Amino acid sequence: MNTQSDTFLSSRVLHHFYRDSVALMAIASKTEKRDGVILVGAVMATPSNLGILAASDMLPADLDAAPDDLVFVVRGESDEVTLQALDAAEASLTAVETAGAIEKQRPGTVSEGIAAANADRPEAPPNFAAISVAGTYAPIVAEQAIRQGLNILCFSDNVAIDDEIRLKKLAIANNVLFMGPDCGTAIIDGIPLGFANVVKRGTVGMVAASGTGAQEVSRLLDLAGVGVSQLIGVGGRDLSKEVGGVMAEFALDLLAEDEGTEVIIVVSKPPAAEVADQLLDRLERISSNGKPVIACFLGMDDADPAGGAPGVVVRGTLEGGAIAAARLANHELTITDLDPREPIPGRVLGLYTGGTLASEAKILLHRAGVDCEILDLGDDQYTAGRPHPMIDPEARADKIVAAGSDSSVGIILLDVVLGYGASADPASPVAVAVEKARAMAASDGRKLEFVASVCGTSADPQGIERQRSILRTSGIILAETNASAVRFVAAQQAGAFAS
Amino acid sequence: MTILDTEARIINVGLPLIVEGVPAADVIQLDWRPPAFGDADVARLALTLENDTTAEANLRAITAVQSVRPQLTRIRPAKEVVPGIAEGRTLLHAGPPIEWERMCGPMRGALIGAALFEGWADTPEEAESQLDRGEITVDPCHHHGAVGPMAGVIAPSMSVFVVTDRSDGRLAFASLNEGLGKVLRFGAFDNEVIARLQWMRDVLGPVLDRTLESYGPIDITSLIGQALSMGDEGHNRNVAATSLLTRRLAPTIARLEPRSEAIEVLEFLAGNDHFALNISMASAKLSMDAALGVENSTLVTAMARNGVEFGIRVAGTGNEWFTTPVGPADGLFFPGYGPVDANPDLGDSAITETLGLGGFAMAASPAITQFVGGTPDDAIAATQSMRRITMSRHPAFPLPPINFAGTPSGIDVLKVLDTGVLPLINTGIAHKLAGIGQIGAGIVTAPAEVFLKATRALARLRGTS
Repeated sequence: MNTQSDTFLSSRVLHHFYRDSVALMAIASKTEKRDGVILVGAVMATPSNLGILAASDMLPADLDAAPDDLVFVVRGESDEVTLQALDAAEASLTAVETAGAIEKQRPGTVSEGIAAANADRPEAPPNFAAISVAGTYAPIVAEQAIRQGLNILCFSDNVAIDDEIRLKKLAIANNVLFMGPDCGTAIIDGIPLGFANVVKRGTVGMVAASGTGAQEVSRLLDLAGVGVSQLIGVGGRDLSKEVGGVMAEFALDLLAEDEGTEVIIVVSKPPAAEVADQLLDRLERISSNGKPVIACFLGMDDADPAGGAPGVVVRGTLEGGAIAAARLANHELTITDLDPREPIPGRVLGLYTGGTLASEAKILLHRAGVDCEILDLGDDQYTAGRPHPMIDPEARADKIVAAGSDSSVGIILLDVVLGYGASADPASPVAVAVEKARAMAASDGRKLEFVASVCGTSADPQGIERQRSILRTSGIILAETNASAVRFVAAQQAGAFAS
Repeated sequence: MTILDTEARIINVGLPLIVEGVPAADVIQLDWRPPAFGDADVARLALTLENDTTAEANLRAITAVQSVRPQLTRIRPAKEVVPGIAEGRTLLHAGPPIEWERMCGPMRGALIGAALFEGWADTPEEAESQLDRGEITVDPCHHHGAVGPMAGVIAPSMSVFVVTDRSDGRLAFASLNEGLGKVLRFGAFDNEVIARLQWMRDVLGPVLDRTLESYGPIDITSLIGQALSMGDEGHNRNVAATSLLTRRLAPTIARLEPRSEAIEVLEFLAGNDHFALNISMASAKLSMDAALGVENSTLVTAMARNGVEFGIRVAGTGNEWFTTPVGPADGLFFPGYGPVDANPDLGDSAITETLGLGGFAMAASPAITQFVGGTPDDAIAATQSMRRITMSRHPAFPLPPINFAGTPSGIDVLKVLDTGVLPLINTGIAHKLAGIGQIGAGIVTAPAEVFLKATRALARLRGTS
């Protein structure tokens, strides 16, 4: 053992003991990390290796080692440290056997995904890609998938409109769907994608440029006992002048051919003027070929073809669209409105998680001449950096609580959206927030009324009855539909002003 | 008809939430990351290159590469065989082109040593001033059909391995490996180094050349193939290939040569575990050059480091280099050395990975798996990850631990961008000061930037950018 200034050098020789230099370097590197250890050498004692040790002042003067001996040398801060390090180094020579499990590499790209799917079950090649990556990359992934013949659900937003137009044309040329961008809801051949309610499979086919609008109509068709054959989302910009409704028309042609579809409904904001004529022509043609068609264009005036002739039925609310579609599929959907209550003074505030539900409320309240503030909390200006409020209901809960201290507010309108993709329990945070808001208002001598509708079906994973009962228990008035909730609010406001 | 007509099977790119309602068995969840290392513009260019023209070109390129069967035929002075090296005073170096002024310590040392060895200068100072004044031309090995490990310096009088493919008569060359310790390729140039080079020129080269002439050409593909089944990976572990070669040549050496020279040569081979590395490199070079200039192909034909920059060449862009500054390897160090001593990554030896050896064949080499994390399983995982960026399996290089599947071979620039997986390169680590030598070994990944640059150039050529 050598002692040099204030450091200590210890060595150990294992005679006729061979390890590969790489293994020894790994042991040296590991041992060097021990507290108090300065430098470690672990080598076979060949002349050149001993030379290397000498060069870094790591060769013990009294070392007795032959080239087929293994040498550990440790320089450390104390005798004890160096001896323990030598023990540890020697112990590392006998590694613990591992289980030998190699983690299977998950596919990382579209083509790897396709290859993995085909290797797994060659008889069922993949036919769909759901894309929810950042909008910068979504068009690239989408193009890869379209070229491979996959239908696309593009949940990603912030996709440039030029990309949307190009990808939709490419998809149509490849005879596949491009649903999106910013498309949150679809049901294809009974498979729900994105935010979709568990609706029974039925005879009404939908083309939707709106997410929660499609959910509300589809769940009402389920309630009516009709069910949905297909729900094809096309993205909110499809019926704009720029995109020209190319995907809506492609989807309509698919539904016209789809054997499970007997009635077709288009759910959207009113199309751009440049698109409307062509789209209505298409709808008329489908209708004259025997499949009844409803154009559910939010805010438009209801209209029916004259004298029971084939033609396009127009409805301006989601509820109206669902009722018309159910009727054309030979089912009645009856919505029972709420009885009026003691009016409460104060303005109407809508705190919505569903964008189309918010639009429907805004349209109906304006028509009724009711002054209101309706917020779509899923809009970019509210979500910045946070998940969509349908996924994370806490974001809205804060707004509800805040409304409790706003003395101008009397009635608060809410939606609670169930189904796949949505929060596992959206009702509870609402209930808790409502109670807090009420308490705050009460401490100020005010009353607050809350009115909500639940967009869900009896088969949704959240359990619609449980969700309803949580809301009811906290005193929230529940309407059957969003439109019905709005009618109630409008009636209450009329009453409040009359009194 | 319905919309899909067949059972729905969904590739999910992004949030698992989106396919919550789909039976798990029908979902293929991707472990996705942004393409082109997050550069969306280059990812779009890459997409324009992903077409039948490229696929067809790549098939031609990789088929050409894998059809090459290099034979080691001769060991000759470079000036007799390496094109262009005998013109004026020319020295070759590793990696992409670089001026003398910007070279790293070990490469400068090696060039000084080579000038002394050639007798162009009597002192290191004189050699340095000749290089300063541009009286000695420096040029990449790769531009002369040659490769060299580390500094990769080849001088006209040095003996070089000559490998050829009989089918087309093309040639490739590599320097002879000097062994470890104080050697020219790590920038050492003292008398011991020069004396060894002289011995290699005067004894080792001629003895081995006469031996080969008598024995006949050696098929390197089968030599490496056999070594892979004996624990080599053809880059950082060469003990099996060196042993196989020595075993084959020893009887002929003993029969032909005067006793003392035969003993010297055999002792040298017995003491140099890496002797076969340079043969593996020359063979890989010959193979990869078969794809040089295959129009529209996105196959990487060379990866090389000059100690300052990392460079690649791509079949479809011919002789153009795409380079970016390079850092030191992350690795294990000999006693007394650490990362602060390491020179940035250096040498032409990554040509072995370009073909599918070295880091790509890691599964074959349990003995050096500590470089990739410790266990043979990690080595298998390393090889499997290289599968994701390569064009095919090399039929002549089966890897026993993965059921004798061929090693992943032929890096596709587009696959690198699409997967975000970078080529793994096994490498030695040189001290940053000339002449100290090897201080460790480890793994480097090729830098992402060179693949982005190559894609921009490919797209420009195709008029798609």
